[in-house]
Amino acid sequence: MKFGVGQPVPRLEDPRLITGSGRFTDDVNLPDQLYMAIARSPYPHGSIASIDTDAAEAAAGVVAVYTAADIESLGGMPCRAVLKDRQGNPCFIPKRPLLAEGRVRFVGEPVAAVVARTRTEARDAAELVLLEVEDLPAVVDLNAAAAAEATVLHEAHGSNLAIHYENGDEAAWEAAAAAAAHRVQVSLVNNRVAPSPLEPRAAVGHYANGTFTLYNPSQGAFAQQGVLARAIFDEPLESIRVISGETGGGFGIRGEVHPEAALTLFASRALGAPVKWHGDRSEMFLSDSHGRDNLTRADLALDESGRALGVRIETLANLGAYCSAVGPFVPTMAGGRVVGTVYRLPALYHSVRCLYTNTMPVAAYRGAGRPEACYVMERLMDEAARQLGIGRDEIRRRNFIPSSAMPFVNHSGVSISSGEFEATMDLALERADWAGFERRRRRSEGLGRLRGIGLGYYVESSGGGPEEEARVRIHPDGSAEVIVGTYSHGQGHETAFAQILSDTFGIEFDKIRFIQGDTAFVKFGGGTGGSRSSQMGGIAVKRAGEGVIEQGRAVAAELLQSEPGRVTYEAAVYRLDDASAQVSLADVARAAETAQFGGEGLAETHRYDRGAGTYTFPNGAHVAEVEIDPDTGVLHICRYTAVDDCGRVINPLLAAGQVHGGVVQGLGQALLENVVYDTDGQLLTGSFLDYAMPFADAMPDVDVSFNEVLDPNNELGVKGIGEGGACGAPPALVNAALHALASRGVTAIDMPLTPEKLWRAANGLSLQERAG
Amino acid sequence: MRYEAPSSSKEAAKLLASAKGKAVVLAGGTDLLVRMKSGAVEPDLIVDIKRIGATQEIKKSGNGFKIGAGVSGARLGKHRALKKAWPGVVEATNLIGSDQIQGRCTMAGNLCNASPAADSVPAMVAANAKANVVGPGGRRTVAVEKIPTGPGKTSLKKGEIIESITLPAKAPRSGDAYLRFIPRTEMDIAVVSAGVNLTLDSKGVVKKARVALGAVAPTVLLVEDAAKAIVGTKLDDDALAALAAACEAACRPIDDMRGTIEFRTEVAGVLARRAALTAYERAGGKK
Ligand SMILES: Cc1cc2nc3c(=O)[nH]c(=O)nc-3n(C[C@H](O)[C@H](O)[C@H](O)COP(=O)(O)OP(=O)(O)OC[C@H]3O[C@@H](n4cnc5c(N)ncnc54)[C@H](O)[C@@H]3O)c2cc1C
Repeated sequence: MKFGVGQPVPRLEDPRLITGSGRFTDDVNLPDQLYMAIARSPYPHGSIASIDTDAAEAAAGVVAVYTAADIESLGGMPCRAVLKDRQGNPCFIPKRPLLAEGRVRFVGEPVAAVVARTRTEARDAAELVLLEVEDLPAVVDLNAAAAAEATVLHEAHGSNLAIHYENGDEAAWEAAAAAAAHRVQVSLVNNRVAPSPLEPRAAVGHYANGTFTLYNPSQGAFAQQGVLARAIFDEPLESIRVISGETGGGFGIRGEVHPEAALTLFASRALGAPVKWHGDRSEMFLSDSHGRDNLTRADLALDESGRALGVRIETLANLGAYCSAVGPFVPTMAGGRVVGTVYRLPALYHSVRCLYTNTMPVAAYRGAGRPEACYVMERLMDEAARQLGIGRDEIRRRNFIPSSAMPFVNHSGVSISSGEFEATMDLALERADWAGFERRRRRSEGLGRLRGIGLGYYVESSGGGPEEEARVRIHPDGSAEVIVGTYSHGQGHETAFAQILSDTFGIEFDKIRFIQGDTAFVKFGGGTGGSRSSQMGGIAVKRAGEGVIEQGRAVAAELLQSEPGRVTYEAAVYRLDDASAQVSLADVARAAETAQFGGEGLAETHRYDRGAGTYTFPNGAHVAEVEIDPDTGVLHICRYTAVDDCGRVINPLLAAGQVHGGVVQGLGQALLENVVYDTDGQLLTGSFLDYAMPFADAMPDVDVSFNEVLDPNNELGVKGIGEGGACGAPPALVNAALHALASRGVTAIDMPLTPEKLWRAANGLSLQERAG
Repeated sequence: MRYEAPSSSKEAAKLLASAKGKAVVLAGGTDLLVRMKSGAVEPDLIVDIKRIGATQEIKKSGNGFKIGAGVSGARLGKHRALKKAWPGVVEATNLIGSDQIQGRCTMAGNLCNASPAADSVPAMVAANAKANVVGPGGRRTVAVEKIPTGPGKTSLKKGEIIESITLPAKAPRSGDAYLRFIPRTEMDIAVVSAGVNLTLDSKGVVKKARVALGAVAPTVLLVEDAAKAIVGTKLDDDALAALAAACEAACRPIDDMRGTIEFRTEVAGVLARRAALTAYERAGGKK
């Protein structure tokens, strides 16, 4: 079996994970540990009149109870979004306290932390914490939050508007619209979802000998260390060690420090014992960040022949009650970088109003802004095709940015470096047998079912933070160790990065040891998110490996009594160019550890800098084909085709896994998933019974293939594959459903396409379902 | 909290009858243990009926099948003769939960939990199943539809347990079917469901029918008008439309996030129609 880049190597981590020997945070138990439970607000909005902790403190086993007043020394949870509006006003970012201060602003907001000898005692006592509030009206609806008379969540600010972000040229749009032969408008809901990683959050905090150690799931330990040190504890970086063992999924929302984690550290320092907190599924529904939640109106101006002249996109984005770590960045700059996506749009105006409401804060979720941006354009394209009577593939063909125009600078000033959008779409249409659809439709019709096919083209701008670091060391036995600042929480980096190093060094796969997620070793790194790991961590690993080879060459030259210029390297052996003598990589590593060669050993740390403002552009065409039973509204996905351009594919198995995961999450959002608050601000979807996630048996067999267009700006040619599925699936599915329902006169429908909603649409009933 | 596992129904009834405080019966525990864990019930006495011999048997006789109250969904699904005679009841019971739940859950537990959305119940009602009840006063036999009286409430008296459930002998040219609607394909609670049991005459005309609906009223409904609508027909389109209309007329569902009144009502008719067609086919009817 081959192990290098491009090979379908099975995941090294799987035997460990599927036999239950992975070490997750809940597997960490320290001697004499205490247990923490959190008392949460049952009220969506109110000023705190009192928090009575007497009963909780007196309860069996309770060691301590903390409220905001007890943790005044700690900072709040920071938001790293930096943005200004057109007038130069900064985005309003209120303090997000670890425990509610003065007001509670959403159901589930932490109010008190109870520490006891057992988990049950802590939980029972947490129920005894008595919170009294003076009720304030709950602001749930985005339009209501924006209204002038709305109750203001953060009073001092005077309104619920965090920022009004604008981009593009409104006057140019107006001119384009005035000159247009056609105008096409859509009004869309991008529904709020609960990302729900498989592993509920947990944390073990341990303060000893002046050092804090935090075990917790994350998407990168280094970032957590920085936030804890700088923003929350105001302690030197070295005094905090963060260890993330296995993490059972993140999807963006594990990329931030959560209050419970910081509170375990605080309590451990105060009480002199390790403190553990472990949330269960119900608590995750109340305390894990949400994703998406936008209302968008978009207007596309086209000429006679269906070529776009301009677009106007106006969005209300829900931030929740506070800013998450990325908060307003997601709907504005993150999504805005690809505004207009893969289409040539001479004029563009983009406006996003970010609003506070009495709901759980919204964070980055698989794609973070890009799926929303793609959904808008793909719905517009389909609607334009319908109104103009042009094929849905044809209208895209007429408007795609051609590969000859690359690099193409879009309206956000971002340079799209590569992509063959039309060719990629054609591949997808062919694999999906787009041309043969009519025959299948007739068959469905005979069975009384409505069949439709839909297309979703997406582009991302990936990479996240522009720097990443890797350290590669060769041990005296010839084995390699790699430490990297990205963080695999399910993606399979242990395998992919070993493939890269196996290629670089020509050594066997199983001689490579992979280390991540512990700040005792990882001294720098941006973690994993934004589809950045292979393009950032991968390059850093490769370059660090190459640096090691170069270092080794100097040592080998000495050992071979020659010059580095005459020493070649291949498959773990340094040779003189005339093949007269050789020395192994292991020998060189051993020599490098001796005083003669400085004693540092054979190791290289490389910090890769992609360059600020540059990204990669994973893109792809997804095609969904569906059948709807008009009598029950049940939608069946008959086939699903994904052709992705993620640049070079390092491991087709891992890449396909990422496509599957992304597509299923996208389909989940499109079909079922919806976080619902009632008008009073109570969360109605507090369990998997009411928050429906798709099951495997309802998911199609995804036909995955790749159109590898190498990224011109990194030597691996990789672009990223983590998020594309979540961008492509919602528009593909919704467009397919609309296509199926076209015969019933339906032209618009919002996610999630629940059976009831489809049934209503198919039967000409009002689409207004009972809202909770 | 006391746990008892008696070996006879009489003993179980005695324990329950003489208990002070809250006493509960434990069968598979897939409802009870969940409720206990969440603190919704805090029993003082738990009487596990699974050690009672009669609760573990599936007995076939001239009168049909006697299914012990401790028989799991998984065991039911493996019983060939039962599956052949009452495919609708077995399929309905096998829809409950997942593999893990199937290993534990029972029909009697599903019935006594008294959820209007319980999956096996409409099928049992359509099948004209009887519950064999043992109590301090002796034995009695009750039609299953008489057991639940409202969500979470039953007509069982203090000390009474269901020892077994009897499904009648399968009549010639008869067939049954059960369908449910859920937003997902499994592991969900029925938003609406329908069970139909038909007997045909030699010409394929419906002679007898029982139609039951789930999740559209506080208890599972036996809809006699729906049965009347198809008796004497070969399930032609008019009969099916009348069946659906009768079902819709009988519905008194709740309106919630999982389904509106409108939707539950109309889909009840759709499912009844489809279940009737399957039952008809199973009864040997040709269309
Ligand atoms: C994950 C999960 C999924 C589920 N999915 C479904 C589903 O799809 N459809 C569905 O209908 N249900 C579902 N359920 C509910 C449950 O599994 C069923 O209602 C099951 O049939 C209950 O049977 P049991 O033997 O486990 O009952 P138990 O939990 O043992 O008992 C249930 C109730 O009935 C009483 N009881 C039990 N047996 C007797 C008896 N012989 N005499 C008198 N009283 C008795 C008990 O005291 C208790 O009140 C699900 C439950 C879970 C946890």
